[in-house]
Amino acid sequence: MYDVVIIGSGASGGAVAYTLCKAGYKVAVLEKGRLLNRKDFSKDELAYCRRDLITPNLFDEYHTIDEKIEGKWVSKPTYVSGWSFWNGNVVGGSSNFMSGMLHRLHPDDFRLKSKYGDIEGANIVDWPISYEELEPYYALSEELVGISGHYQAHPFEPKRSTPNFSQPPTKENAVVKLLDKSCRALSITPLVTPRAVLSQNKAGRDACYYSNLCGSYGCSSGAKGSSREALIQPALATGNLTLITNAHVKSLHSEAKDSVKYAVVIDTITGKEKHIEGKIFVVAAQAHESARLLLNSHNKYHPSGLGNSSGEVGKNLIFSGGGSGQGELHKADLKEIKFDELMTTGLFVNRSVLDWYFIDDWWDGKFKGGSVEFMFEHQNLINRARKDNEVDGKLVWGKALGGHVKERLQTQKSIRFEIFNDWLPHDDCFVSLDEKHKDKYGMPVGKLRVEGHPQDVKVGEYIATKCEKILEEMGAKNIYSGVSSSPPSNLIAGGCRFGNDPKTSVLNKYCQSHDVSNLFIADGSFMPTGGSVAYTWTIYANAFRVADHIVGVLKKLT
Amino acid sequence: MQRIVGQRASASFEKQFRQREAILEAVQEHLFPQGNDLPSAKTMKMTAFLFDTMKHASFDKDIKAFVLEGAKELDSREKGKFLAMTQSQKEASLRDYETTRYGSAWLSRIMTLSMEALFCDPIYGSNVAEAGWKFVGSDGGFPRPQTKYLGV
Repeated sequence: MYDVVIIGSGASGGAVAYTLCKAGYKVAVLEKGRLLNRKDFSKDELAYCRRDLITPNLFDEYHTIDEKIEGKWVSKPTYVSGWSFWNGNVVGGSSNFMSGMLHRLHPDDFRLKSKYGDIEGANIVDWPISYEELEPYYALSEELVGISGHYQAHPFEPKRSTPNFSQPPTKENAVVKLLDKSCRALSITPLVTPRAVLSQNKAGRDACYYSNLCGSYGCSSGAKGSSREALIQPALATGNLTLITNAHVKSLHSEAKDSVKYAVVIDTITGKEKHIEGKIFVVAAQAHESARLLLNSHNKYHPSGLGNSSGEVGKNLIFSGGGSGQGELHKADLKEIKFDELMTTGLFVNRSVLDWYFIDDWWDGKFKGGSVEFMFEHQNLINRARKDNEVDGKLVWGKALGGHVKERLQTQKSIRFEIFNDWLPHDDCFVSLDEKHKDKYGMPVGKLRVEGHPQDVKVGEYIATKCEKILEEMGAKNIYSGVSSSPPSNLIAGGCRFGNDPKTSVLNKYCQSHDVSNLFIADGSFMPTGGSVAYTWTIYANAFRVADHIVGVLKKLT
Repeated sequence: MQRIVGQRASASFEKQFRQREAILEAVQEHLFPQGNDLPSAKTMKMTAFLFDTMKHASFDKDIKAFVLEGAKELDSREKGKFLAMTQSQKEASLRDYETTRYGSAWLSRIMTLSMEALFCDPIYGSNVAEAGWKFVGSDGGFPRPQTKYLGV
């Protein structure tokens, strides 16, 4: 029997495994996917970005998505829509493929209800912990994961316990001169983006080599702060971690009301089932799948799902609100910098804007806003060559095609912004079990209802208008943006809220089930509200906090 | 059992593809003709890539069916005469096909798959001698893959 069995090896599973293995406990990590290492992480656009090779084939494993048609909810399988909600089913999970633009939450994100009050139709609650309680773990993950950056004081930048990042920012493209100048001309403060990419070598990991293809790809130098690289590998080095790959957990089995006895695991290669016992179980399968696992683990003690006496498992799922936009910087109109500098490949843009994190507008009023990241359009060749390949609604082909492709790729570079604002939790955003559809292992698939709240779109549009002005100031052409209530399927949290009241939350403040004492959920499921930045740093930090608590629990058991 | 089903599906796909291969090849060669700066469908072996990539388990089976059906539909619209057409007749035929919603979607898909052939890693058998990358001044990114489709 293991001391701890962890389901999932992504950001949170890695943080818990690292902490417990370093503390001397025997840990099993069950990962549904396989192990890919640095040598496997090529820049193969076809394999990594255009085929389902690091996520399940949707005809084998899928979700169903609720859509409102003529006033009724109708669910459609994702193998029909092609809209995948899988994110990196390999050791390290989606952290292998992140762009790594990370921010801490602001202290007011922990008390959104107290600060801003109720919003009609939204289920906003304060967190049971404060920023001050999480701050040491933000600092710990910054160091262990390897987040580079440069701290600049800003009204909406949270306070730090250390003066600055231990690694300077990654190298930047000259476009930041133009971006910074344009922001300042509009009285906007550009900040250096903290990035989970090493700018210097660190403990067996090589610094970034500026491959030009970072997000959506694994890192072959070890610079990117994936769970696999930064946490699972060191955990393996302790000798205390058993990493079991190709291991899909169907359910958690209980023989008593307040504990899990073993995980029911299917070897995805052989199809054989086995049981893996542990003293403590930590679910870290990404929010929607963690809730599904609990619901699929119902038993005579927990008829509506494991740890679901509150009826809250799967409820208040959240994504990241916002949208994106971009504009083209053309050779003929470029200001401030040389075209060759702009076209230099590999270097980062590394700029964020937090000026609209909290908005107090003389016309629009006071409301919670969001953050903005700037970057170049993704540099994938196939995607860029194929994009905008139409004139007057007709495909460009034949003799004209070569010139069109060259013009698209060699005479301009597109600068892009992405907006992150709160995805307000509400009654029409949740995961439940589909009553008809089952996966290839015979278990009900997750049925997602993913409606956005109107406020999310209002906030996104407010910020997009500001960002378009920055691109205009930069001299960009063909500027456009899109803000939608459709969720990004790679940023998922909520579904098993933490809180002090077992009647209204699934987990206590340590992300331990209120109902089942040896069950923890360490991924982003705990978040009652999501803040206005990507979740990853918060998920890392909280998982380290949870792991410290589990160490305390294990000490009492022995 | 699963392996036998897979083998049958693969054999069935190959048979269907071979029946439509000539028309797919003709369309790709029209979109990416020889005699221009842009590497052609013929020199980049785009039709062979199309077969190989659609045969792989990771390829979406609905798209695979659509590619084959769209070729059949084009052949049917032109009463089996597309292959014998002159270049200008082919241009008129495809532009006319493009005015239909179905034809537009199909041509768009063929363009996407042909772009994949032009700019993917040469390990997949197309982008021969990195001609696609060289055309746009790219090195494709490093490291390069050692196996196709991550060895799956």
